[in-house]
Amino acid sequence: MSSFYEDEGRFRGILGWIFSTDHKRIGLLYLLAIFAFSAVGVLLGFLMRLELMAPGPTIMRPQTYNAIFTLHGVIMIFLFVIPGIPAIFGNFFLPIQVGARDVAFPRINLLSWWIYMAGAGLAVLSLFTGGGPVDTGWTFYVPYSLRTPVNVPLAVFAVFILGFSSILTGINFVTTTHQLRAPGMTWFRLPLFVWAIYATAWVQILATPVVGITLLLTLMERLAGVGIFDPLKGGDPILYQHLFWIYSHPAVYIMILPAMGIISEIIPVFAQRTIFGYKAIAFSSLAIAVVGSFVWGHHMFVSGQSDLASIIFSLLTFLVAVPSGVKVFNWVSTLYKGSIEVSPPLLFALTFIFLFSIGGLTGLFQGALATNVHLHDTYWVVGHFHYVIFGGTGFAIFGALHYWFPKMFGRRVGKKIPYLAWALLFVGFNTLYFPMLILGWEGMPRRYYDYLPQFHSLHLVSTVGSWILIAGLILMFGHLIYSLFRGEKERLENPWGGATLEWQIPSPPPRENFAEIPRVERGPYEFR
Amino acid sequence: MTPEGCGLKTYILVWLGLVVLTGVAVSVAGMDLAGWSTAVALIIAFLKSGLILLYFMHLREGGELRFLRWMIPGVLAILFLFTGLTFLDVAFR
Amino acid sequence: MENHRNDGGSKLGMWLFLLSEILLFGGLFILYSVYRFQNPQIFHLAAEALNRPLGVLNTLVLLTSSLTMALSIFFLKKGSPGRSLLFLASTLFLGILFLFNKYLEWTWKVQLGIYPDAPRLLERERGEVLFYGLYYSMTGLHGLHVLVGLGILSVMLFFILKNKINHNHSVPLENTGLYWHLVDIVWIFLFPLFYLIT
Ligand code: HEM
Ligand SMILES: [Cu+2]
Repeated sequence: MSSFYEDEGRFRGILGWIFSTDHKRIGLLYLLAIFAFSAVGVLLGFLMRLELMAPGPTIMRPQTYNAIFTLHGVIMIFLFVIPGIPAIFGNFFLPIQVGARDVAFPRINLLSWWIYMAGAGLAVLSLFTGGGPVDTGWTFYVPYSLRTPVNVPLAVFAVFILGFSSILTGINFVTTTHQLRAPGMTWFRLPLFVWAIYATAWVQILATPVVGITLLLTLMERLAGVGIFDPLKGGDPILYQHLFWIYSHPAVYIMILPAMGIISEIIPVFAQRTIFGYKAIAFSSLAIAVVGSFVWGHHMFVSGQSDLASIIFSLLTFLVAVPSGVKVFNWVSTLYKGSIEVSPPLLFALTFIFLFSIGGLTGLFQGALATNVHLHDTYWVVGHFHYVIFGGTGFAIFGALHYWFPKMFGRRVGKKIPYLAWALLFVGFNTLYFPMLILGWEGMPRRYYDYLPQFHSLHLVSTVGSWILIAGLILMFGHLIYSLFRGEKERLENPWGGATLEWQIPSPPPRENFAEIPRVERGPYEFR
Repeated sequence: MTPEGCGLKTYILVWLGLVVLTGVAVSVAGMDLAGWSTAVALIIAFLKSGLILLYFMHLREGGELRFLRWMIPGVLAILFLFTGLTFLDVAFR
Repeated sequence: MENHRNDGGSKLGMWLFLLSEILLFGGLFILYSVYRFQNPQIFHLAAEALNRPLGVLNTLVLLTSSLTMALSIFFLKKGSPGRSLLFLASTLFLGILFLFNKYLEWTWKVQLGIYPDAPRLLERERGEVLFYGLYYSMTGLHGLHVLVGLGILSVMLFFILKNKINHNHSVPLENTGLYWHLVDIVWIFLFPLFYLIT
């Protein structure tokens, strides 16, 4: 049977890709776009670290620095990690894993890729039009975003458009999971990756519109001066923060839940042992999605919100750490007495657990009211969210790339280089971000262009870390690209011995995945 | 979901109900209910929405998408929680 | 490639979209409740200056349009596209009427110098600025939804004429109906919150 690469459908060549409604092709379109944007994001991060290598002006002017950290944040959050796993791996594997030929709405799926590209295009356009690149930070806080002369209107509109794409993707995945499961694929036979994407999809559907309206209002505020968020006209800027975080805290779960789903796939396969506490993991995804929707106020402890609100949000924040902990314990227990093979995917998964735990535990420090006053808006927070987002989601993506590479591209990844790349990434990552935790603890504020001399040495260490990390990224992606063209052909359907459905069809999969819709008779982690 | 599920007559009755409820809302607004008028107005609005959801939007009939019925209350509950938590701030500053 | 039509799926997708819409407006309702809580008296006085008869008229217009929408689907499923078309066209007409009334209402207000960022408005109390900010944002967003709805209704009209949707394949019209009813429901809440507060 020919694979989905050969069978082009209605159009040929590049048109056969950008107008394809095949979920696998759309997944790869996203992959290309998302990694291209993230490369720009990495470059911007590299530039910021260079600037901070020494106190005082180093390579750029302050306003440039403000624009760069904003753009870095906007790209990484809205163009990379939020769409990341659902749009790439969710698109590619969710339909296969539930035993379907495609998602429920293939054309809307394609549309959402186009909307994503349009949003990204507008974001790029915003750099060169109006007052130039935005300098507000990715949070677009009012009242500053109402006063700054830069091109806020177009930038917030771009993010609004991106949100629309996210909602459509979410609708597709919920419907697919409900409607297109193969016969015998009961809810508790769904792979945990599907559960994670499913829970995420609900958050995408229900939380994204709230930031949508917030950004629309900010846009109207800029264009028409409505006054709802403008303190000069009686508006309350803190309400902007409420609405913004009602979405943006759940958004961190849009970023991390799918990553947790990937880890739940990789670990049992490489331990050849059924997952420990399937239901606990599945339901903790839902619990995180639900409870996580009501903790947003922990971003606003020093905003001037009421003390009562702060106390309750702090309490809820501690609660939401529980289901995350449940998952970590389940993964570790799965490994216990397994026949473990530390292949690159597992190595990245284990690194996820380690780095995510640091990220999560630092989050608890921030969730405590008294310490938060000290830590808020410092490099501690920067360290925290890089540990969870990059150390968590980022490393899960690396793991997923190595895990699913043979299936997606029909080629194998070499045996040695991934370990070397991993070592560089791991060392580089911690050298880059751990000093940030200390810097923040010592009082270095975030989003600053300059700093006091006593912070110099840690900043220098951090900058050196960024070089090691980037070397690791170049090595890893270089090797993956090399394997794409030169890697050994993967002839096996199931090189790792996985038990989910994607390992029962050819690599790469044929156009409609299954010659015949499978009948599912066992769970996703019943090996042999 | 068969068209027989909702007859012509039902539709027209529902519409009449909606119009009557609108009338009630407007006349109640003229009375002095000492702080209760907003509550009454909202209750009437919920009743009207309920009629539309159940009859015009066919939630009453169930079918394979029966679980949809729980979604609207679910989403409203989420919205109330969002509002409630926001009020923990604005009402206690 | 085989045709993967899945009617239950399309409806579920539409409902999910509607849930998303509820929270889009939900954000505005949160803002409304906070600002009204903070400025009860001013909101009350400002609301009295709105044109209540026109608000009532528009409520009746939209409610009736919901009825005609439901009837249009009813007749399409029964296999009488002619009557379905008639009711669909009435829905379209009522939608346009609604927007026309809105247009009148907004123009009168603008002529009085009450519109966002207007010097006359900014001279007034803060609460009133907020009231009108919310009024324009919420009815504006709602109006935009009506406008989009009118576009979809026209497409449906065309599809029925071309027999692209009929009693065998009525889901697009049913989904249009779901959207239209939701827009109606939003108005059902906007109406008392802006025109009836006392
Ligand atoms: C145990 C779980 C977690 C807890 C208790 C927690 C707690 C917190 C708190 C309290 C803050 C606010 C700090 C401040 O600004 O003062 C924060 C910020 C942040 N967190 Fe987490 N967090 C957790 C997990 C995550 C995850 C999983 C992600 C993303 C995948 C994440 C991403 C972020 C981001 C991006 C920020 C910074 C937002 C900004 O720009 O201000 N967090 N976290
Ligand atoms: Cu948060």
